[in-house]
Amino acid sequence: MGSNHSLSGRTAISGLGMTELGRVYGRTATDFAVEAVVRALADAGLAKSELDGLLLNAGISQGIDLSLAQAIGLPALSLQTQMNGFGSTAGQMVGYAAMAVSAGLAKHVACVFADAPLVPGERAGRAYGGGRTGRRGMSSILPALGFAGPIPYYALLAQRHMDLYGTTQDQLGAVALSSRAWARRNPLATMREPLDLAGYHASPWITEPFHVLDCCLVSNGAICVIVSSAESARDLARPPVYVRGAAQAHQLEWDDTVPSLAQRSSRAAFEMAGCAPSDITLCQIYDCYTFTVVTTLEDYGFCKRGEGGPFAASGALAEGGALPTNTGGGMLSGYYMWGMTPISEAVIQARGDGGARQVDRTDLIAVSGNGGIFNYHATLVLSPHAR
Amino acid sequence: MAEDARATPAVDERSVPFFEAAERGVLALQRCGDCGTFLHPVRGRCTSCAGTAIEWVEASGRGHVFAHGRLRRSYLPEHEGKLPLTLVLVELDERVRFASRLAMGEDAAVRTGDRLAVVFERLDDGTPVPVFRREAAR
Repeated sequence: MGSNHSLSGRTAISGLGMTELGRVYGRTATDFAVEAVVRALADAGLAKSELDGLLLNAGISQGIDLSLAQAIGLPALSLQTQMNGFGSTAGQMVGYAAMAVSAGLAKHVACVFADAPLVPGERAGRAYGGGRTGRRGMSSILPALGFAGPIPYYALLAQRHMDLYGTTQDQLGAVALSSRAWARRNPLATMREPLDLAGYHASPWITEPFHVLDCCLVSNGAICVIVSSAESARDLARPPVYVRGAAQAHQLEWDDTVPSLAQRSSRAAFEMAGCAPSDITLCQIYDCYTFTVVTTLEDYGFCKRGEGGPFAASGALAEGGALPTNTGGGMLSGYYMWGMTPISEAVIQARGDGGARQVDRTDLIAVSGNGGIFNYHATLVLSPHAR
Repeated sequence: MAEDARATPAVDERSVPFFEAAERGVLALQRCGDCGTFLHPVRGRCTSCAGTAIEWVEASGRGHVFAHGRLRRSYLPEHEGKLPLTLVLVELDERVRFASRLAMGEDAAVRTGDRLAVVFERLDDGTPVPVFRREAAR
């Protein structure tokens, strides 16, 4: 193991800021974002004046924009932009921040996601998948046909996986149960009541084969991480979490006959980190659906194509399993902060801050981000060790 | 509820040929006049050769089930009393993927790979939309 890549281990996540997450009302997305950045600065031991880069990502509610710098009070940024690769954005932000810091274009870059789509008394599904999005043209027939929001597309692709490989409903349920078991030990997680397979099967159908418990939460809140050079991170308040690998891959539409975007992205990130899938000791997967965990496990090379379901059902993802995964409860049971959910949990675990959910082996943590209908992907390899 | 607006299709300039063909019960698709690639959704340039000689042609209306599932919950009023609907991603023989559903009354038991053929149904507002039935045995 070892990397010759010039970017690997050169930068680190030096600060993490998380707000209250979930059904938290009375604050705007901008309020949450400001709080997350301020908390991340305090966590790192950085003064606001030392922050010279800001990358931001607005969620479903599109509640933050470039005016965030004014709201925080950052008068002299040397790097700033708003990014959107949907679920892949957070991983991309850390990757771009690592590149910028390595190249000397900025010293400390805050990457922040914020969203506040939930309003009191309204169901999360309505906030997420309403479908009346002002479409025009041929695609304007889709909501009436039944395709409103991303859930139907993912559900259908899950059914295809079941048809082709024999993946079962129980195996999708195993992902939901594993996430819930982890969430029960995360005080910030939204869904902390016990869940068994009967409870999973009893949860309402959304689009078969997805029950509501196959679909992620919708959450209000914000998470920020700060990327700094490895050298400066070592002088800051908290242990650095090194960026050992970072990559993206994109594709036009799901196609079983070519290497998937997640395969390409993970291979590139693992190559940068100088590691193989078997070296990964902990995994934080973008779990917009149980099914995306199944396919990501396959695409990242932790098991073969078609074996993600049995792998999940084997207990591999749980405490003491071969590959502890989504140890904060993920987005299925924890909180839906797009790609910042898996990144923040990787940072917490790498620092040893996991409390009741802390795992032993944090040497190499794979972090995924998935956006669109399997259109946009980012992979990070994070570690408490520089090399 | 104030939000009870239906998800009514909105024809735009580029999609007029699609909706006009649908009125005649024909599935129309764009095809690149230079390289023959079929384009869906509507494009201004060929996504294969970047050519601009785009024409509308009558599609075969036939394809196979790439993926399928059953819509069980919807927030749209036009789906009230009609669920579940069997949704399909159809890989048309023209090699484009088309999101639709099975026709009303069609037996819901489909499998990935099953052959389908287009038929047209009207939405609540009268817009004809392409949906699919099992291809008649030949």
